[in-house]
Amino acid sequence: MNKRRWLIHLVLRALAHRKGRTALLLAVLAMASSLATALGIVSFSMETRVAEEVRKYGANLIIIPESARLDIGSGGLNFGVVSDPAYLRQSLVEEALVKSGLKAEVSFHLRGALHMKNTDVIAEGVNFSDIRRLFPWWQLNGNWPAVGETVVGSDLALRMKLKAGDVVEMAGVDKKIQLRISGIVSSGGEEDDLLFMALPELQQALGLEGQLTLVRLMVTAGRDSLRQSALTLQRHVPTAKVNEVRQTARTSEGLLAKVKLLMLMVTAVVLVSAGSSVAGTMSTTVLERGKEIGLMKAMGGTRWEVMLIFCGEAAMLGVLGGFAGYLFGSVIAQFITKTVFAASAEFIPWFVFVSLGVSLFLALLGSVGPMISVFRLDPVRSLRGE
Amino acid sequence: MSENIIETSGLTRNYGDICALKPLELKVPEGEWLSVMGHSGSGKSTFMNLVGGLDRPSAGSLKVGGEDLLALTEDGLARFRRKFVGIIFQQHHMVPYLTAVENVMLAQYFHSVPDEAEARSALERVGLGHRLKNRPGELSGGEQQRVCIARAIINSPKLLLGDEPTGNLDHKSTVMIMELLKELRAEERFTVIMVTHNQEVAAWGDRTIYLDDGVLVREERMGEKQ
Amino acid sequence: MAIILKTIPHLLAWSVIVLVSFRGFTGRRSVVTLSSISGLIIGVSGSCILFRSFPGAIPFGIIKSILGLSFLLLWGVSVASGYSNAVRGEAFCRSKQFFQSSICAGTVTGIISMVAGAVSVCALPVTGISALSMVFLALSSALIAYFIVYAVRFIEKRLPESFMVSPLGMVVSVVSLLLFSSSSILRLDLFSPLSMKVMKGIHDFVHQFMESILIPDHLFVRPIVWKYIGFLFGNGVGFWGAMVIWFAPVFLIITAFLSERLPSVAHIRQGAQRRTLLAAAVTLRRCRLVMPLLSILIFAAAAYQSSYPSVEYWDPKPLAVTASQAGEIFIPKKGEINLEDGKLHKYLFKKGDKEARFFVLKGPAGQLTVDLDACAICKPDGYGQTEGTVICYYCKTLIPLETVGKPGGCNPVPVQFTEKADGVIIDAITLINSWGATVQATARVKEGGK
Repeated sequence: MNKRRWLIHLVLRALAHRKGRTALLLAVLAMASSLATALGIVSFSMETRVAEEVRKYGANLIIIPESARLDIGSGGLNFGVVSDPAYLRQSLVEEALVKSGLKAEVSFHLRGALHMKNTDVIAEGVNFSDIRRLFPWWQLNGNWPAVGETVVGSDLALRMKLKAGDVVEMAGVDKKIQLRISGIVSSGGEEDDLLFMALPELQQALGLEGQLTLVRLMVTAGRDSLRQSALTLQRHVPTAKVNEVRQTARTSEGLLAKVKLLMLMVTAVVLVSAGSSVAGTMSTTVLERGKEIGLMKAMGGTRWEVMLIFCGEAAMLGVLGGFAGYLFGSVIAQFITKTVFAASAEFIPWFVFVSLGVSLFLALLGSVGPMISVFRLDPVRSLRGE
Repeated sequence: MSENIIETSGLTRNYGDICALKPLELKVPEGEWLSVMGHSGSGKSTFMNLVGGLDRPSAGSLKVGGEDLLALTEDGLARFRRKFVGIIFQQHHMVPYLTAVENVMLAQYFHSVPDEAEARSALERVGLGHRLKNRPGELSGGEQQRVCIARAIINSPKLLLGDEPTGNLDHKSTVMIMELLKELRAEERFTVIMVTHNQEVAAWGDRTIYLDDGVLVREERMGEKQ
Repeated sequence: MAIILKTIPHLLAWSVIVLVSFRGFTGRRSVVTLSSISGLIIGVSGSCILFRSFPGAIPFGIIKSILGLSFLLLWGVSVASGYSNAVRGEAFCRSKQFFQSSICAGTVTGIISMVAGAVSVCALPVTGISALSMVFLALSSALIAYFIVYAVRFIEKRLPESFMVSPLGMVVSVVSLLLFSSSSILRLDLFSPLSMKVMKGIHDFVHQFMESILIPDHLFVRPIVWKYIGFLFGNGVGFWGAMVIWFAPVFLIITAFLSERLPSVAHIRQGAQRRTLLAAAVTLRRCRLVMPLLSILIFAAAAYQSSYPSVEYWDPKPLAVTASQAGEIFIPKKGEINLEDGKLHKYLFKKGDKEARFFVLKGPAGQLTVDLDACAICKPDGYGQTEGTVICYYCKTLIPLETVGKPGGCNPVPVQFTEKADGVIIDAITLINSWGATVQATARVKEGGK
């Protein structure tokens, strides 16, 4: 057996001997490093995701009525703040587009509440052909609807227990309508909570013929001229507001920043408390094992060699805690992104090094004090039991 | 006459104001079995710690195996201990989470590299071939002391120090341990310094010195007494 | 002042070499001292003489080939060490005795210091050095060498015993230090040319291979195979291939050390003695590994320096130009830019969605040339100018200013032009076509001819 393997064996034996304390230290280290890992994974994967979403957004300009608050976010962030319903006239927008001479893909949207099975669902009227062009990433389970058919978002379908082929009956303002569900749509965004139907049908059902709540445009233009396009268009639709979609994505960036800040604070607190609890536990351990340390020194271990054994214990704890922390942290990250962002976190293998680093750092930092006492301990006194 | 393995002159050890060892002149020839007697507080443990390189004298000179212990650093003393000295304690002092064989291997580890086969055979030599994988808690006092003997001699020390090694043992075990030590000494030819307050145990040695209050008061050879 | 600063890394590398030599040739302190100092002086003055007697690139070529030889030597030694370890040859032990002799110590340290001195000189602007400043250089190098060697002797005495240098460790560390020293000098750098050679070699091989055996539509070659072949044409191939060649000797030596068998101790009866011997052998092995492990770092630093040279290039932002009605581009000699200042002047010409980058340069012989900012074989990353050369950013090849304007290799592709008294005139169509053809050709090379 060579020296290195013997050292590892020795360390494992020592750790196994004090199972409770080892478990406690491992738990503390794993918790601290898992939080740090989760923080890292969430911010890392959500940052790329938000950026991706901004890029992926088919539409880069939207037109909304002046008085309406925008309730778009990425992911499942529905702030649901719809103040006074306000509408755009479809003909006005069409006219403005022609006049401004912008080349753009357009999709008209009308959003409103329909009464279905004792609850209200938010329905969105769209032209499905436009949708297919502008939102190619929507995943449709079933078929795109024909006349008299509808598609529902996956979350909504789950909630209302709907499936493709069902016929739903809904009440608008004026009259009842019956639609067959032709498919379930999921986009990973707020669309998953909506019910989609043909624009004219919804306009009729809500009694809002020719009215819209939102127009999405995909202007083919460079970055600089996008603002220019927005300004041009704005001039032609004075009653509405033309926004760049980047602005709307900011809301989720802001939320991400808040979640990150919160996690950062929690992590800081946990790191500090974990560090001090490691220090406390380690120093009691060293106190208890004074005789053992004295014996090792009496047998001829130099101060450094004996300290190496105890550092090895701390490092072993750090490594094990780091691995556990990585696994646990990935789960936490997944949970956070699922609940807060309604998205799934990426699996980032190299974060295992972050987790290991945090855990090792904590374990070694926490044992600096105890290590000094190991280093200084006098063999004669400790063997005498002083 | 063989060479002296220990030579002291004016060896003194003070703990603050208390003088545990008054200036001591002593020469121990190589291969001798020296018993050190005295009641508790007489300075015999202090003497043993000094000779074993566990403690440093306050004054005087101390040469063990030709090495001037005063000139060594703390880590130098540790290196001296691992090469030169084997120590057996009264309270055994074994690492509780290691098996008998691993406790012996720990001494090998500090000395050079661990060698399990050698550690096994050392335990077999002290008659513990059947208890290799037992932890200290599963061993009787006599058995533990035998593990400690195996551990003390595993690195072939020139000097074996015993700090009341039989202090916690019954008569039968004591005899067994002393017999074992005698046997091993015949084979390995190490020098033994045994601190004890038991006249019977001291009688196993070639020479006995009596310490009282840190002063060497009497010295007798086994032959002279009989 | 800045010039003196430039030599510091080289002198530092040399002082580490001297330190290693002191430890490598234990007990030959005076010989090592003497031969190191004299070696450096000879190296410095010798290379000065070289620079005086040969023009431009030749002395660089000579020193570079010596460095290349040293790297080959390292390869040979590392392979031999692996081999002798495998067969446990006795010849190696005899050569160890020779290695410790004072003749060997003197010659080896002398030659090493000579090379180190020559490399340090290359960091200075020595082309066409005057005799007076040459003498000054030799004298100051003697002074510096004296101080450094005695400083190193002072440090060496205070280093722990465990820092020991085996012959193999010495070879590997000295070569790594020399290459580190030379990698910061563009014209002596070995790593970038190595990676370029590897890349070209692999490309050529695959071309031959494909054309002779693997006809693209061959029945047995499935598309997936083409994907893998495509890897060989990626940008990384040259780099990673060079990395393998660069680091392999060190790793060979390390494995040779690690696989060295521990001494046989079975005949020793006493366990403690047996174990002491084993432990000592393990410790010795660990100590001897220190130098090769450090060399890995030094080699890595050299490769890094070569990939990201700290040299600043003259690289002006391309100036947009337009063509006249007749389809001619006119660039005035005087005005905002002085065309004849001997510097690279870059221009960008756009026509529709096509564009062409080119530069105008007045060579040392006094003639103007107009060339594309691209060569016939590389990706069109363009050129930068340093002292006496332009460099292709893609393959890091240095092209002496004298040859700019001549076609071939990685030289910038020359463009036809007419020189007038007040400027140069370039035909826009020719320019665009030339650029298009060049870029297309290089793009095809990149995709492996498929």
